Parts: sequence; C-alpha cells; structure tokens
Amino acid sequence: MSGVTPSINDDDLHAYVDGQLEPSRRPAVERYLAATPEAAERAAAYHAQREMIRAAFAAKATEPLPPSLSLARIIGQRNRRQQGTWLFAASVLLALGIGLGGGWVLHTAATPGRTQQAMAYLEQEALTSHVVYAVDRRHPVEVVSAETAHLQQWLSNRLDRTVVAPDLSALGYHLIGGRLLATEHGGAAALLMYDDASHQRISVLLRPMAAALQAPDAVIQQDGVNGRAWIRSGLGVAVVATLPPDDIARLATRIGADLGTAG
Amino acid sequence: MEACVPALRRYAGALLRDRQEIDDLVHDCLVRALDRLHTRRDDAEMRPWLFTIMHNLYVSRIRQKRTVGQPESLDDVAESALAVDAVQDQRVRMKDVIRAVEQLPEDLRSVLLLVTVEELSYANVARVLDIPIGTVMSRLSRARERLRHGS
Repeated sequence: MSGVTPSINDDDLHAYVDGQLEPSRRPAVERYLAATPEAAERAAAYHAQREMIRAAFAAKATEPLPPSLSLARIIGQRNRRQQGTWLFAASVLLALGIGLGGGWVLHTAATPGRTQQAMAYLEQEALTSHVVYAVDRRHPVEVVSAETAHLQQWLSNRLDRTVVAPDLSALGYHLIGGRLLATEHGGAAALLMYDDASHQRISVLLRPMAAALQAPDAVIQQDGVNGRAWIRSGLGVAVVATLPPDDIARLATRIGADLGTAG
Repeated sequence: MEACVPALRRYAGALLRDRQEIDDLVHDCLVRALDRLHTRRDDAEMRPWLFTIMHNLYVSRIRQKRTVGQPESLDDVAESALAVDAVQDQRVRMKDVIRAVEQLPEDLRSVLLLVTVEELSYANVARVLDIPIGTVMSRLSRARERLRHGS
C-alpha cells in the first residue's frame, strides 16, 4: 500500500460506476470504498440505478423506426430535391472543394482500423444507393448508357481516374447508365446500374480510395440484398443486387477482372 | 450513421413528449447531419457528433417555443414520483424507472441519459451539451441523488 492516499472525490465515484475511471486511479478508489462504508453504499446504489436505467431504456432503441426516419428515404428525398441536373451535383462538389481529390481516405494511412472503416462505408453507401435508385423505375440513372462514352468521361473526370463501365453482357446484364454520388465523408463515387431481361437491377459502386488501402472480397448482406465489396489498386468497388450470393460472386469476379482490380 | 438512429430517437424521446415532435427532431437532425457531413473531421466520432447536432436543434426549438409564450415548466413535478422503489413486477419497475427519469429536470436528465444509456464519455457529454465538464459531473451527481432519494 502506498503511503500517500490520493483524495477521492465524488467525481471518482461516478467515474468508477460508469467505467470511466482511469485505470491508474482504480486501486485507490477501491481502497477508499473498502474503508468508507458510506461511499461504498452510494457507489452500489448508483451502480444498481445505472443498470436499472440501462435496462429500462434498452427496449426503447429496439422500437421499429417510422419510414420517415429511414436514412435511405431521407437521402432519396434530398437527391430529388437537389436533382436538377448532375451538373448541379458536380458543381456543388467543386464548390466545396471536394470530389476531385477522391475522398477522405486518400491521404490517410492504411491501418487495419482504417481499412475496416473504409469497407464499412463502402458497403453502406452501396446498399443505401441501391435501395434508393434501383427501385426508381423512371430515373435510376442520370446519364444513360446510350451516352456511354460521355458517361465514362464524365465519371473519369469527377473521380480523377479512368472509369470504364465493366461489361457484364456475358452474364446477361446490360448497362442502364450511371450517376455521380456525393458520399459520406466528402468523397465522390460513381454508381453504375445494370439490368437483365427480367429487369433485375444491379448496382456497382466505384469509389476512389487511398492507394495503400487493400481489402479482399467481403460479403454484404442486408434485408434480402446481397453483395460483395473490395478495395484494390486505389479503388473501392461494391456490387449489390437482390440476387443469390452465387450470382453476386460471378458478377464480382467479372467486374474485378474488367476493372483490373481482381485479386 | 444509420446505426445511430435508434439511439437518437431514444434520446429525443427523453427530451420531448409528443411522438410527432420526437420523430421530427430526429428527422431534422439526420437532414442537417447529411448537409454537414463534408464538414466533419475524419477522426470525429459519429455518435457524439450526431447527438450534438440534435441537442442544438432541440435547444433552438425550446427557445422558439419560449418566445411565443410557452415556458417549459420542468420543475413542478410530484417529487414522490422520483423515488425508485423496489416493486415486485419487473415491468412495472421499468416503467417507474422511465417515469422517474422523465420527471427529472431536463438539464439533469440529458446528462444522466447520455452517460448511462448512450455511454458517451464525460468529455463528449460536455461537448454535446456545450457545458464545462465540471457541470457534467455536478449534474450527474444531482440526477443520481434525486433518483436515489426521490427528492
């Protein structure tokens, strides 16, 4: 036991109860509690109270959300509101000084945490975009495939790298067109949309990433939508559709080969 | 961001009574967050950032209400309702806990819920509510003592 007992105050008791006490201070607080029944009683009461409150409020976060709070829907509304033309979106990105550099991950080091985070964003963006745009029968894309050259040039300019839409015709899917997305965290991404004879739609999201980031194929699965995502050669790629995982795997292989990002 | 929505709604539910107002607050918070995503620092944590946006929206709403002459009376609560008694039935107890927390003054309630339920660090709570960390600690202490003694 050390000779000096650091003075323990009320804040320490709360931090102890909330698990926010600095580890180095913990032994002193525990000694204090052992020696001071009044404080020990109070800490125990706070602890019990904390657990009760947590249990009582836990259920409140599992209530189903109203449709008005669906992020996909809010993003969809915003996009419709801001639609006008894709030029508008592009000009906003330019005005904000973002988009050309290729996003937030460009200058960051590739730690496992960063890679994981980048993949999480990539997957979330792909799912959200697919949910919003693939169901839109009339305006799923901004630039149609008839203008493929223009589309590819435009996306290439915006993403500051050559973007060539993968050819998925061997698998029965044809390019409908594409659109530019303002993604979370300030980067721009390209969304390419394909469909087959039965109007089954596939979304392919391309997003520049830091050259140092590398991530092998990861399976995406949410509410009946399946997909795959990976990061290679400075490009984050995600393919999502309401298709069985096997079909997605075939599409992913083809896309990876076409983009030169196959593992 | 999507993963934070239930927690935002839960916290909004502790600030406001009316269901529509609760969902409106969360909705406006998400819209504003999307508007401001590009201003967010890469390393900033998502949860405290969202809670800060929502708290600011809440505060400006309360101010608007006050100027049209609807002062919120947070303190005229039956104090006996604050006591957390050990009642047999778990579900009744849970309801009592929620009611007791809801009847705390708003400034104490926010701190208590952000710390215990939303598990924000004290420093982040201070940031969200834009108050000094010392105030976070004193409000936390007062909230816990009130619930403990029912006064």
